Amino acid sequence: MIEHIVFYMLAAVILLSALGVVLLPGVMHSALCLGLCLAGVAGVFASLGADFVFAAQILVYVGGIAVLILFVVLLAGSASDLVTRQINVQWLPSLMICATFIWSFLKITAYFSGIGAESAPAPTVRALAGAMLGDYAVAFELISVVLLASMTGAVLFGRRKTE
Amino acid sequence: MTLSNYLALSGALFAVGFFGVLTRRNIIGILMSIELMLNAANINFVAFNRFLYPDRYLGHLIVVFIITLAAAEVVVGLALVMAIYKNLKSVYVEDYNILKG
Repeated sequence: MIEHIVFYMLAAVILLSALGVVLLPGVMHSALCLGLCLAGVAGVFASLGADFVFAAQILVYVGGIAVLILFVVLLAGSASDLVTRQINVQWLPSLMICATFIWSFLKITAYFSGIGAESAPAPTVRALAGAMLGDYAVAFELISVVLLASMTGAVLFGRRKTE
Repeated sequence: MTLSNYLALSGALFAVGFFGVLTRRNIIGILMSIELMLNAANINFVAFNRFLYPDRYLGHLIVVFIITLAAAEVVVGLALVMAIYKNLKSVYVEDYNILKG
């Protein structure tokens, strides 16, 4: 019973704040709603027993990406954003595409409706660490190369022209 | 809770993010909507791992990789947005036509 209450509250928080991200006219409000939505997704991870992913979501998404987007909103925003139109003219076809997607996706998920969890969640950190430094060590090292490349790219694009 | 509840939540979140990508005029709003879509995919991975393979953790591993790649993507994307904003003084994607030559 308590599981249902937690799930539906998290779903309400996630979907309402996601609608806020998409529909609110001010980008600042959208960025704050994005932080709330990412925290709600972290709650879903916790309710699914994914402890390491929950911590990584809080650290990287809520603590890193949401704050970074807030900084860019502060740097690139202007006061006229609140009164200009934020939705383009093709919103009706987009709405129909998304409604079709949701309808067909709900049809597909009915196929999985009988599957419940049969065991309690167990701690995952030891198994994840073993996999990262064992079978998936190459992917782990490649991810660090990607992070280095993205840091170099951010410095390259963000620097001031010196001439 | 069953697997289909989590899949429905993830599908709805993905559709909201997709609607944002299709309709927002602000480039920062589009980037935020892309983050919503990535989070919907992450919920799917963790839910399938929990309900179908509860003794293996490959889904969690994939989600950690996706979170890292999303961080890299948003860092480079926002650096590009700031570089374009310094030149064009606009965050609306209709004005972004400087690749046209």
